[in-house]
Amino acid sequence: MPERIIQARGMVKGRVTAPAFVCRRAFSFLGDVDMDTGEVIARGHEREGETIAGKVMIYPETKGSSGGCLVLMVLAKQGRQPAAIVLSKPADPNIVEGAILAGVPLLCEPRQDLIASVPHGAVVTVDGGRGEVRFDPSPA
Amino acid sequence: MKLTDSEKRMLSGEHGRVVAQAMDYLVQFGDAFGAERFVEVIYAHYPAEMSIYRGNVEDAVEYAATGARVRVPTTSSTLACDLDQWEQLGCPKKLADLQAQVVAAHRRMGVLGTYTCTPQWLGFVPPKGAYIIAVESSAIIYFNSVLGARTNRGGVFTRYSAVTGRYPLMGYLLDENRRGTHLFKLQLGPEDLRHEADYSALGFHVGALVGSEAPVFDRLPPSTPTQLLALGAALATSGSVTLFHAPGCTAEADTVEQAFGGARPKETHVVTRTELRAAYDRLTTIPDGGPIDFVTLGCPHYTLEQLRGVADWFRAAEARVHPDVRFWVCTNRMTKQAARWEGLVERIEAAGGRVVCDSCPVESHMRTSTCKEHGLKTPQVAAMVTDSCKMARYVGDLIGCRTALRSRDECLQAAVRGRLA
Repeated sequence: MPERIIQARGMVKGRVTAPAFVCRRAFSFLGDVDMDTGEVIARGHEREGETIAGKVMIYPETKGSSGGCLVLMVLAKQGRQPAAIVLSKPADPNIVEGAILAGVPLLCEPRQDLIASVPHGAVVTVDGGRGEVRFDPSPA
Repeated sequence: MKLTDSEKRMLSGEHGRVVAQAMDYLVQFGDAFGAERFVEVIYAHYPAEMSIYRGNVEDAVEYAATGARVRVPTTSSTLACDLDQWEQLGCPKKLADLQAQVVAAHRRMGVLGTYTCTPQWLGFVPPKGAYIIAVESSAIIYFNSVLGARTNRGGVFTRYSAVTGRYPLMGYLLDENRRGTHLFKLQLGPEDLRHEADYSALGFHVGALVGSEAPVFDRLPPSTPTQLLALGAALATSGSVTLFHAPGCTAEADTVEQAFGGARPKETHVVTRTELRAAYDRLTTIPDGGPIDFVTLGCPHYTLEQLRGVADWFRAAEARVHPDVRFWVCTNRMTKQAARWEGLVERIEAAGGRVVCDSCPVESHMRTSTCKEHGLKTPQVAAMVTDSCKMARYVGDLIGCRTALRSRDECLQAAVRGRLA
């Protein structure tokens, strides 16, 4: 099956290829994730026990007004930040600030529902400068 | 973004690496949101680095050591502890010592150590139309709405704006984004909107209905600055409101029509005392007559006049705070000095209360997450009475206590009785 290319709004530039980390619900950096390891620690979270470090996060929107930036900064200091972030909804300024400081490409508002179509763990390539998400929809 | 020659010089390193880095971040930020150009800001309210956030204070010290200096008058927001009374208020020494390190860093950078959520009470009152950048949701909405200055919800990047004097022209800086969106027809008499708590309840009710959009209040009576501050703080708590219009009280629109810029409201609601009562009830989880262990006034930080009101109440009541109750009235350290001069601090302390500066319960070590990190028992508060919806909402979530929303005088009565009347 040919690779799918989905257009999105590129907010923070950078191009990276990494496994997808897909969440169906809003993600809260302050509270959901361990700031030292990038492991999801929130009890009952759909991705509890998994780590966001080095992954392309795909989720609807960020919860919490100021946590995103602070946590991304702490994670980046330890090399445990996500590889990229793709949001379904318009990006809030706080997460954009964090992405810029942490050097994490960030996109939002993809033309197609990525949460529904990208399998968790599938290798995706995102380009924040061009506003593109590429992945191979055939199973690994 | 299109840069001026001056901005290009800043970006290219002509004013040093720190300014170039700051400009680079701001350009990325402006480009992300499609801003055409920068504007010059005349003032910044800076997010003071707090010791309850990992790496935050260390980052401030590091940044100050690079030689970074602010280019515009810059005040700073609250800290995680009262720098003078941290021990008496139960803050772990490690947290207090770390927090104290920001003072020297801010002095190096030229950031004024106001450590408050209400810099406007210290004379920082930008004129209508002025571009500024501020953190602290209750200050942001006050600057935008009551003063008609223009700011977005500042974040960590406020630091870079302070260092360059620039912010991208976007969001609430633009006329077309400053129009009202939702209409609230108030059917409230003077007895319904008497105390700051009433204004807070109004904001708490409306904020939840508008989310991040802009409410317009029809028939808000002539109101004092602290009443409008309470209204805004609550709007920014139950919603994430950045701007509201109340023709007759706020700066930009003289009529409801003007507030909407000729457009029709997306929604129209009526507000009666029933809705205000519902807001009170939503935030009151302490049963009537139930015991309490904490009373907080000063969210947002109190003025000198408000402190005088508290001191006068204790004198007239000839009463003391109940031994099982901690009573904090929060303000900033400059106002506390003025209050000391007036003999107000002495009176409040003699009655068993504390005038707390630099911080407040919400920003303190009492947060459940912070307590867990420092081996402190939780919850640090069982039942808090306050006249601020913002305080009630946040301590309920972050400290895990029961709360009650009451008028200032009722808060004081509860502090004395040790029970919710």
